Amino acid sequence: MMDAFQVMRWPLLACLLLPGLLVYLGLHIVQREIIFVDLALAQVAALGNCVAILLGYDAHDWQTYAWAASFTIVGAGIFTVTRTKNHRVPQEALIGIVYVVAAAFGILLLSRSAEGNEELRRTLVGDVLLVRPAEVGRTFALYAVIAAVHFVFRRRFHALSFDRNSPRSSRWWDFLFYALFGFVVTSFVQIGGVLLVFSYLIVPAVCGAFLAESLPARLAIGWTVATVASVAGLWASYAMDLPTGAAIVCTLGAALLLVGITSAIRHRS
Amino acid sequence: MNLKSIALFALLAPAVAHAKLNVVATTPDLAAIARAVGGDNVDVVSLAKPTEDTHFVDPKPSFVVKLARADVLIEGGAELEIGWLPPLLEGARNAKLVRVAIAPGVQLLEVPVALDRSKGDVHASGNPHFMTDPVNGKIAAQRIAEALAKTDAKNTGTYDGNLTKFNERVDAKMLEWQKLVAPVAGRRVVAYHNTWLYFASRFGLKIDLFLEPKPGIPPTPASLAAVISRMKAEHLRVVIVEPYQNRKTAETVAAETGATVVPVTQYPGGVKGTEAGYVEMMDYLVNALAKELAK
Repeated sequence: MMDAFQVMRWPLLACLLLPGLLVYLGLHIVQREIIFVDLALAQVAALGNCVAILLGYDAHDWQTYAWAASFTIVGAGIFTVTRTKNHRVPQEALIGIVYVVAAAFGILLLSRSAEGNEELRRTLVGDVLLVRPAEVGRTFALYAVIAAVHFVFRRRFHALSFDRNSPRSSRWWDFLFYALFGFVVTSFVQIGGVLLVFSYLIVPAVCGAFLAESLPARLAIGWTVATVASVAGLWASYAMDLPTGAAIVCTLGAALLLVGITSAIRHRS
Repeated sequence: MNLKSIALFALLAPAVAHAKLNVVATTPDLAAIARAVGGDNVDVVSLAKPTEDTHFVDPKPSFVVKLARADVLIEGGAELEIGWLPPLLEGARNAKLVRVAIAPGVQLLEVPVALDRSKGDVHASGNPHFMTDPVNGKIAAQRIAEALAKTDAKNTGTYDGNLTKFNERVDAKMLEWQKLVAPVAGRRVVAYHNTWLYFASRFGLKIDLFLEPKPGIPPTPASLAAVISRMKAEHLRVVIVEPYQNRKTAETVAAETGATVVPVTQYPGGVKGTEAGYVEMMDYLVNALAKELAK
């Protein structure tokens, strides 16, 4: 047991502290029906990484981070502009296109650089098992700032996602939402990879939507699901010696299945 | 004995017995040599699987546990494990771990004069795939024996004896291998990635034509076309491919040129028939290539 704690303590801390904000943002994302926007933004940020690497910067230079951040902001701009009320072209389609084109363009760029392959792989899988204490601290600080912005302007952001016809919603706030969201996603992708970030965003939010109506209740359910699944997934990863990120994703999937069954039984009776 | 008591036994055994040294090797070839040198006095595990690309190993929780409990860590060095070993060691926090790298004892080839990433995934300290030369295998055995003796001084005699036995076996086999490759000396073999230059220079072959345009960069249509036309012009007959490389690419090129794909591995167990150890693996490699080239 001592061993398990020694090996898993930093991943455990990362998986308890960081998904809090992801679950909350997930509620927005699910409500707006832009499920894949996180994958698309992560891919756009990865494209920024690719460009930096191609320009000769190391994967850990601040210039590389600056490139990824500016690409994220450009991505946020694209999604702000494309949020139309035109139902013949759903935004989900445009999000998918951004994802695929960014991924393909990344492959084209990386065919010119050898190091990039590792970078692309890291984006997808991540390495939550080997997360460094400094990384957890830095990301948590960033999340605290972003959570504070979201808390202070909560009415603005709520109007964007939950009441689209409200006069409070505007392009500027929409852009701010996407930009902040982009930073949250890309910094967690560095730790856990695209699969894990997607699961933390969407699965707890969907569980909440299954079981509750009000936003606070959904949030409480989402946080509970994320915490329980994180601990269970980390334990399974240790006990059965499985890749850590994938184990958490699968326990989140199992949690959704349980919630789905519970909700079905409740609706029948 | 039921499962629970087996688990309990496994948990307690190291504390009770504690006679055997816990040895962790990063790659299966080093693990195989450590087993040969350590004999019954050591428990050896390899972190990387024989079918895995050792530049990219997927870390699992057990790796950290193994490193935390290990007495000796054997690494290849020369930046082979740079992508994944340091964070694992950081997590294991094993202060008493004796680390031995093989590369500092080896004459590395392809040490770049100036590091230039535009040439592909080049290693700053030279090409780290040196274990396919049996002479380097002997150097590895020597360094492993020294590390074991340093950690477990009372069994120094055993380790020295095993080392002598290993060396004698390699030397005897070496004569056999040289005889096998003599008729095909100077022939060119096509490889996927530049991992075979130590093997080639030891056995008098040329393995300098690659499916990858630059190390670590996937083959492009133009690079494959260039390889195919050169294979046709020079009547090259053999393409070698490792377990984690794209066999389909090699097969396409082989079909286009009438060549044969020969599966090879740098690690015991990577290809069927090489599981028994380092010498058996070298035996397979030399035999497979010499036979195919002689056809």
